Amino acid sequence: MYWLASGLLYRRVVSPFTKLDPRIKLLIAIEFFVLSLLASSVIGVAIIIASIVAVAAFARSLRRVGRTVAFSLIFATFIFVLNLWIGLGLLRSLTFALRFIAIIGSTSIFFITTSPDELEQIMKWMRIPRDVVFAFVTAVRFIPVVMLDAFQIMDAQKSRGLELEKGGLLSRVRNLIPVLIPLVVNSVIRSGELAEAMESRGYGSTPKPTSLYGMRLRWYDKAVLVLSLAVFVLALYIYHFYTFPF
Amino acid sequence: MTFVHQNGVKALDGVSLTIEKHELVGIVGENGAGKTTLVRHINGLLRPTSGSVLIDGADARGTSVAKLSRKIGIAFQNPDHQLFSESVEHEITFALKNFGFDDALIEQRLNWALDFFGLKEYHKSSPLILSGGEKKRLTLASILAWDPEVVVLDEPTVGQDAIQKAKLLEIARTLHSAGKTIIIVSHDVEFLWSLQPRLVVMKRGRVVEDGPCAVVMQERELLEDARVSQPQLVALYESLSRRPASPFQDVSQALSWVSGERR
Ligand SMILES: Nc1ncnc2c1ncn2[C@@H]1O[C@H](COP(=O)(O)OP(=O)(O)OP(=O)(O)O)[C@@H](O)[C@H]1O
Ligand SMILES: [Mg+2]
Repeated sequence: MYWLASGLLYRRVVSPFTKLDPRIKLLIAIEFFVLSLLASSVIGVAIIIASIVAVAAFARSLRRVGRTVAFSLIFATFIFVLNLWIGLGLLRSLTFALRFIAIIGSTSIFFITTSPDELEQIMKWMRIPRDVVFAFVTAVRFIPVVMLDAFQIMDAQKSRGLELEKGGLLSRVRNLIPVLIPLVVNSVIRSGELAEAMESRGYGSTPKPTSLYGMRLRWYDKAVLVLSLAVFVLALYIYHFYTFPF
Repeated sequence: MTFVHQNGVKALDGVSLTIEKHELVGIVGENGAGKTTLVRHINGLLRPTSGSVLIDGADARGTSVAKLSRKIGIAFQNPDHQLFSESVEHEITFALKNFGFDDALIEQRLNWALDFFGLKEYHKSSPLILSGGEKKRLTLASILAWDPEVVVLDEPTVGQDAIQKAKLLEIARTLHSAGKTIIIVSHDVEFLWSLQPRLVVMKRGRVVEDGPCAVVMQERELLEDARVSQPQLVALYESLSRRPASPFQDVSQALSWVSGERR
């Protein structure tokens, strides 16, 4: 459980990739995403996955991206079997399954290397209303807090003899009630407190607040921008004019 | 034993501790010393990374939390992390049902708990409308209701007013004299001082001192190092004893002088 959940959380890592302007990271993730959608051969998708792995290594997050991808393997296998079963043939089924992994990899690389702060900056840059941005970023930021709550609640209930893994499906679902109720109650209490604390500190008093950090493209960001666009165009070109043997 | 958290934090580092039956033990130490981590090992919520936990002389490794909890009741600090039922009554009987008590016994234990913790008037109300102190008492009631042999209280006095604290003190004393083993984790040295338990001092995942409360509380430097304040009485005695012709030979004399008892 902990193992799985920690794959979703942002953890600060210093690397040449995480240092990039968040917009560039988003662009690279989108490029990977588009390429994975367009790729129509096993080799093509494999090359994309290899590049995602390379970028993940560059971002010093290979293990965490790998974890998400490992988890998506379950679904990829399902996709593969299903496609094979409806008679799409080995190669196409494999392509679909690999494509799914590539898509998960490209999105997870963005979320794993982008802090909630950076997410906030990007959303503001996209001119999404401030309250929406705030709600979204706060939700993301509170995932670990709620998770920790959930673990503590489970501990408290297990200490009162609750056996989460006991019984059939129905009783297992019923066993979750003593965990879910305190979890929701706590979250509601916390959100109320948060709102009051925010308002006491002047949230919403000016329509356009100043921000502490701004995004500015440095020469390094610009270089990566140009490079990634060049590679992207090259890849599109190859897709268009070259057919892989399989 | 040693325990390392999933994020690599070594929360317990070579702790070796034996607690006898009927003992009253207080655990103190700075924030993050590993006190909570230590008590979570007693009913198997956490399992040692290396070393072992023995309950009644048997390795607890293969025994489930539910089984261990029947014998060891742990009350955690935050009541909001466990209250979920639609009524105080159900909250108290939740564990009893989990442990498979029969109806007659459940009824009997419920009445005892409601009485003992002064919750009778609320037995039909929702736990969520209770005040902080009442919630705390309810969590204790919901644990003591199944009559565990060992009672572990993690920070029982946080947020309690003077009356509640006095009540808690009385509860702890009553349970102890009823033959229970009691382990209390607390930053409240005055509370512990009134109980005079065996005191275990922790620092950075290690046990740095272990002895009778009256003795350990006099070790000013050690306590300062573990970020534990001395009880006022001990501090007062110490400043008195630095004066010439101090009327007391040790703290316990000062204690009996203050309370007017002869020892
Ligand atoms: N779930 C967890 N995951 C990772 N590290 C943890 C976890 N729980 C506690 N820790 C770490 O383990 C160490 C010991 O924590 P613990 O809660 O046992 O301290 P404590 O003595 O109870 O402190 P306090 O007086 O603040 O309650 C701390 O460094 C803490 O950061
Ligand atoms: Mg603690």
